[in-house]
Amino acid sequence: MKEIDFEHKMAAHCESGTVTALLNHAGLEITEPMVFGIASGIFFGYFESSNFSFPMFIVRNKPGSIRKNIAKRLGVKFYTKSFRKSEKGIEELDRLLEEGRPVATQVDFYYMEYMPEYTRTHMNVHFINVIGKNEKNYLVSDSYYKEKAHLRQELLNKARFVGGHMAPKGFLFYPEYIPQDVDFETAIRKGIKKASHDMIKLPVPFVGVKGIRKFAKKVTGWPELARDIDHLSHEIMKINVFLEDQGTGGAGFRFLYATFLQQAAQKLNDTQLEGMSKKMMSIGDDWRNISYFAAKIGKQRDLGEERLNELSGMIYAMADKEQEFFTELYKMVK
Amino acid sequence: MKEKEAQISFDMHPLVLYVEKEDGTYGRVESASYLSKNYLEDYFEKVRKWDKELKDQLDKGEISPVYYYMTMLEMGEGDLASRAGIPKWKLKKHLKMDAFEKINLRMLRRYADVFDIPVSNLLHFTVIKEKDQDKLKITYQKSSNNPYISVSKIEIK
Repeated sequence: MKEIDFEHKMAAHCESGTVTALLNHAGLEITEPMVFGIASGIFFGYFESSNFSFPMFIVRNKPGSIRKNIAKRLGVKFYTKSFRKSEKGIEELDRLLEEGRPVATQVDFYYMEYMPEYTRTHMNVHFINVIGKNEKNYLVSDSYYKEKAHLRQELLNKARFVGGHMAPKGFLFYPEYIPQDVDFETAIRKGIKKASHDMIKLPVPFVGVKGIRKFAKKVTGWPELARDIDHLSHEIMKINVFLEDQGTGGAGFRFLYATFLQQAAQKLNDTQLEGMSKKMMSIGDDWRNISYFAAKIGKQRDLGEERLNELSGMIYAMADKEQEFFTELYKMVK
Repeated sequence: MKEKEAQISFDMHPLVLYVEKEDGTYGRVESASYLSKNYLEDYFEKVRKWDKELKDQLDKGEISPVYYYMTMLEMGEGDLASRAGIPKWKLKKHLKMDAFEKINLRMLRRYADVFDIPVSNLLHFTVIKEKDQDKLKITYQKSSNNPYISVSKIEIK
């Protein structure tokens, strides 16, 4: 077994987790919340599309943006490559591992067979670090798994080269250049500015706080889209999954973002930001309550009009809170 | 969220939460899925129920096996069509039996690959009685030379 000496650590989120681990490995000391915040990871969007079996929402920016924004704001250069032919992609990954480089790659989560079966859905934007290989397996460091995991070669190859919505095309990356001096202050302010801007100012009706309102409005109509009460219950309980279980650090990334703001406040010695981090933690608590509420009413099949209106009201309140929050935050870094 | 509220243990589904620690700083703790810990059985019950209902519909010829697997795997039509490499309108037809029965083997194989099952499973279910499910399991092995041929093995766990 060729195994690269690599520190494995669970992380809140797969993309910020892989990027953080690779940067740490390359000698840049940085935390996951810092990576997430500088990369303007926090977001919201409500989507209805035939790529999903039911309406869904996201609580982070577009997959791939964490790496791109980190590169732009910290001056790190990533080697990136995707492939039309799987053979080339497999060859390239093996070559890099042979050189002793841990490499991040994009995969369909479904094939990560070390994860519990019930969590494994077809989702093409999972990121893992590959850190070794033997005759049968790749050795991977997955932010969602406690230990380093063995993944059969055949499965990783499938996971990297499946088709579908946002097909991975074997995409891989690693940092090839880390600057000597990083200007964290500018990076932090730019990261905050972009995130706040996108939450309150994008002229698109289903993203940012407008997206939260759209979600609040639409959720009361979900019964018409569901096959029956059990299906409706399942979709309502998935609100909890999206907010808590799909690699968010809790409360749809709001706890992670609060942590970023606190670390940013300390780095910049900025008491205003410290105050904002407390507010974000409290906003996170409110989202977490929505998660608990959704799980409870889903389990009890207590999904009549009145209860869904109550849920909708809780979500509308989040839109108001986040509008106020990000407006204030935007002014601070403008 | 305070650290003590994050003390959830559920080995099957660990995850990282960011919380307020005792000293007021925010940071990571290894916790677990609250939903899995408390409501997993409810989820499995639903899945069993859907499985039964959809198989009844299959039995009556109301839906096709493609519809069955798409629904059980919670895949969107657009995503499935793109994974199978066909236009969406064609996929929609394949959700019903009258178009499904005209599918050729090669098309069937594309669906089987997406659903990660042997081709034969699109036309056949092997089921273990509920009382024996703790003792027995089924595994599938595809022939490495002929993608249409597979072997199902029923083994003692």
